[in-house]
Order: sequence, then structure tokens, then C-alpha cells
Amino acid sequence: MLDTYRQVVTPEGVALHLRAAGPVPRALAWLLDLALRAVIYAALFRALVGLFGEAGYAVLALVVFVMTWFYQVLFEVLMQGRTPGKWALGLRVVAADGAPVGWMASFTRNLLRVVDALPVGYAVGLVACLFDPWGRRLGDMVAGTLVVHAPRHTPQTAAAVVPPLAPSSPLLPHEQAAMVAFAERAPRLTLARQIELAELTEPLTRSRGEQAVDRVYGIANWLLGRR
Amino acid sequence: MRQEHFVARHEYEWREFERWLEHRSASARHARSHRREWNGLSDDQLPERHRRLCQQLALARRRGYSAVVTDRLQQLMQRGHSVLYRTKPVHWRRAIEFLLAGFPRLVRAERHCMLAAALLFVLPLASIFVAIQIKPDLAAGLFDVQSLARFEQMYDPAGKSDLGRTDEDDLQMFAHYIGNNVGIGFQTFASGLVAGLGTVFVLIFNGVMIGGVAGHLQAVGHGDPFWRFVAGHSAPELTAIVIAGGAGLRLGLSLIAPGQRRRIDSLIHGGRRGAKICIGVFAMLVFAAFVEAFWSSIAGVPAPVKYAVGAALWVLVGLWLLRGGRNAAYRDDEDAA
Repeated sequence: MLDTYRQVVTPEGVALHLRAAGPVPRALAWLLDLALRAVIYAALFRALVGLFGEAGYAVLALVVFVMTWFYQVLFEVLMQGRTPGKWALGLRVVAADGAPVGWMASFTRNLLRVVDALPVGYAVGLVACLFDPWGRRLGDMVAGTLVVHAPRHTPQTAAAVVPPLAPSSPLLPHEQAAMVAFAERAPRLTLARQIELAELTEPLTRSRGEQAVDRVYGIANWLLGRR
Repeated sequence: MRQEHFVARHEYEWREFERWLEHRSASARHARSHRREWNGLSDDQLPERHRRLCQQLALARRRGYSAVVTDRLQQLMQRGHSVLYRTKPVHWRRAIEFLLAGFPRLVRAERHCMLAAALLFVLPLASIFVAIQIKPDLAAGLFDVQSLARFEQMYDPAGKSDLGRTDEDDLQMFAHYIGNNVGIGFQTFASGLVAGLGTVFVLIFNGVMIGGVAGHLQAVGHGDPFWRFVAGHSAPELTAIVIAGGAGLRLGLSLIAPGQRRRIDSLIHGGRRGAKICIGVFAMLVFAAFVEAFWSSIAGVPAPVKYAVGAALWVLVGLWLLRGGRNAAYRDDEDAA
């Protein structure tokens, strides 16, 4: 299993797959958020101070205050753990048990940015992140949260339906799994690669070239139970 | 059972589950108001369906079904999990309950840390104040000449109509105070994570600064406008800083003396309580900023009224922190809210 790939067993007894995010995508997401906030401040500055003068400054200062402490919290809780920066990088904040992050946890982890940002440029957070097997900074540890790569919904194609073909000899479970996996993934490979892979099973199919591919498809269909 | 049969048998169930997730999981309020139009899986069936799905996923994994089936079930399971195990939404009633009862209880539960923080803050403040009365030159060692001149101008007894400021309007000062004070409060708490050292530093530093300014103004004879200015908001502001400091010390203690917990569990426990305390501190500082911007600065109010209001606020804050939430209803509510 990959180093950053974590399994959390749910109360129902099955494993959740969480892919903990490392410091680089998190730093990039943070920079994106910073840039976005800068743009918002600049736009508000033009709008408020241009229109209302002194009172505009006051409102701007209030907005800056709210954004400083609650920008991350609001997005993380209301947008399923994603600030705009995290959304762009495909990251999410979740509780350590894989559940969505709540108000308290999000508030805590963002409050403790003050410590992680010490002494400059999130150095403390980076060191914590590198030592922790889940890539958490101190704020994450205290709040019991985790930044993960959101699962990408890769479209899975079912194996094409062809006449089933019984294999000439019994197959072990992992061999069966390999046959079915080939049938499901082959449509996305080039023909040459399909042939190359299918020919590895020559002792079983006793054929080469495109015929081998067809036979593997047939065996996969037999294994899937299409009879 | 062959994979195809397995899929064929359960396909309908999975579709229903997926449809529920798509249409009803996003917003509870939307789901409630559209209850009548919904004809799929009913809400109270969901936990049972989720457990069935988990069982089917475990079965599919064990039987070595292909990724098409296991990945799909895995994704459905994770989506169901994040719906079933999401945290409770916050209700206004509970938030008010927390402020009136839960927060004072939390503060009292950490009374030793609070006391230590109060001493770390008040002792330097008082000593510097007294020291400057005896030897006024000390102020020049704490602040540079421009700052001293600015303080003296802000609290000049012969000065302008507003106390404690130059010529910004109330709203602008409110924004300034709230940003400044909440920043200090939160930093006081969070820097406790550095084994409590950060909190100790912030508390002593702020004690010295505040004591220095007050001592200097008193010594040069600008005491009257200064005391009239700070009397009103001193109670919520100073206690909030001390409470944030106490929470920070608690956080530092849970790092260096985790007791019978694992260090990480102790940190999580301490951090969760500390963050709750910070919510109360936040409310206190917002209130203090209101008082500071819209009441403290009014110069026309006679001094006795100002001091009376200040004393009343001290008594109220004291009563709130010492008596709040002493009824039995909140006894077992420590980790809720």
C-alpha cells in the first residue's frame, strides 16, 4: 500500500480509503486562497472606499477581520471541506474518521494556524507535516482532522459482452481477478498493448495476436458468470 | 456467487441509495420541505441500507470481485458515511446556552490555569505601573518618544471631545478594536501550543505594555481622561485576555503533562476545550469592542457615571463567570455544544 494511503475502519466494519495530502499540494491550495483573498480585498477596496470614503474603510476593516479568521472555516464547513484553493487542487478536509469536518474542528484547526505559521512561512506546520504519517500539521492533530485528496470519480467500464469461454484449466483467485481486470481496462489501451498483455497468457489461451485478446475476453466473461 | 449475478441481484438497491444521496443528502432543510414530493427511499431506511451496502462491499472484496463493482460500492459507502456521520448543525438556542452556561463552566473547570494566567498578566502590569509612579523615566525605556507623545496627545485633559483617539469615527474604531483585540486573544490561546511558552510571553508582554501606558499617563497627569476611557470596556477585555491565556496554558500543559491519555489524545481533548473557550473569548471581545467604540470614547459623560458603568460591568462579568451554568441541567453537557 502507498505510504500516504490510510484506511479507517468505519463502525460498520468496512474500510474507508483516505489518501492523505502532503505539504506541496496543501501549500499550493493555501497560496491560491491567499491570491483569491487578495483579489477580493482589492475589489472591495475599490468598491467600498470609492463609494463611501471613511465609512467604507471601516466596513473594509471589518470584512478583512472576518476573512482573516473565518474564511477557511466557512468554506470548509459549508463546502464539504473545500476552500476554493483546496477545490482547485482536489483536496478536502475531513475528520480523522472520514466524516465531514464540523464547525468546532474547522475552527480549531484554523485557529492553530497561528502556531503552524511560526516562525515564518509555516515552518512549524511543515516540520509537523513531514514527521506525521498522515501529513498533518499541529492544527490538524489538535482538531482531529486530516487533509485528503478527494476521490476522483474515474468512470469504470464494464467488460464488453462476448461469448463466454471456459478456461482450459482451473484458475487461482488472483489469476481470475487479473483476467477480469484486463477485460475491464483493455478498451482504454491501444490494440498493440492489448495484444502484448494478452499474449502473456499464451499457456492458457494457446493463441497469439488478436485471437489471444478475444479469448481472454471470453474467459473473463465466463468468470463474470455470463452464461 | 458470480459477479454478474451479484450485481443483478442488488443493482436496484444501489440505484435507490444513489438516488437518495443525490437528491436528499445535500441540505436537510430542503429535504424537509420537499418531503411530500419524494417517492424514493425514505430517510429512516437509510442507516439500514447503508449497513447492507457495507456488508455487500465487504462480501464483494472478499470474493475478489472486480474494480467495477468494488470501487462503485466503495464510493457509495464513503458518500453514505459522510452523510450519516456528519456533525450536528449548530442551533441558535444551543449557542446562547453555551454562552450563558457552558462557557462559564468551562472556565471554572480550568480555574488553576486561569489563576496562573491572571497572575502572569496582572503582576507585571501592576509592578510596571507602580515602578513608573516612583521613577517616571522608566516609561522612556519601554516606549520611544513618538509613541509617548501620541499617548499623551490621545488622553490630553485639555484636548478634543473624543477620548482615546484622534479623529476617526466610531465604526472605524470598532473595526480596528475588534481586529486588534480578537487577534491578540486568539494568538494568546494558540501560542500555548508551544509548550505554553508563547502564552506566557504574550501575557507578560501585554501586562507590561498596558501597565506602562497607564503608569506613564498617570505619572504625567493625564490619568483622568485615560481612566474614564478604559473604565467601561476594561472588564470584558482584560478578563477575555486572561481567559484566552488560561486556555493557552491548558493547551501547553496537555502537551507537556498529558496525564493518563496518550499525548495526541490529550492534545485533541485540550484543543477542543480550548477552541470552545475561544468562542466565548471571541464573544467577550466583540462586546468589549462595542463598548470601547461607542461608549468609552464619549467625553461628555461625567466621570462618576463612567466609573459606575465600569464597575457594574466588572460585577456582571464576575457573576457570569462564577455563577453561570451552576444548575443541574448542564452538569453532563461538558463535551456537547
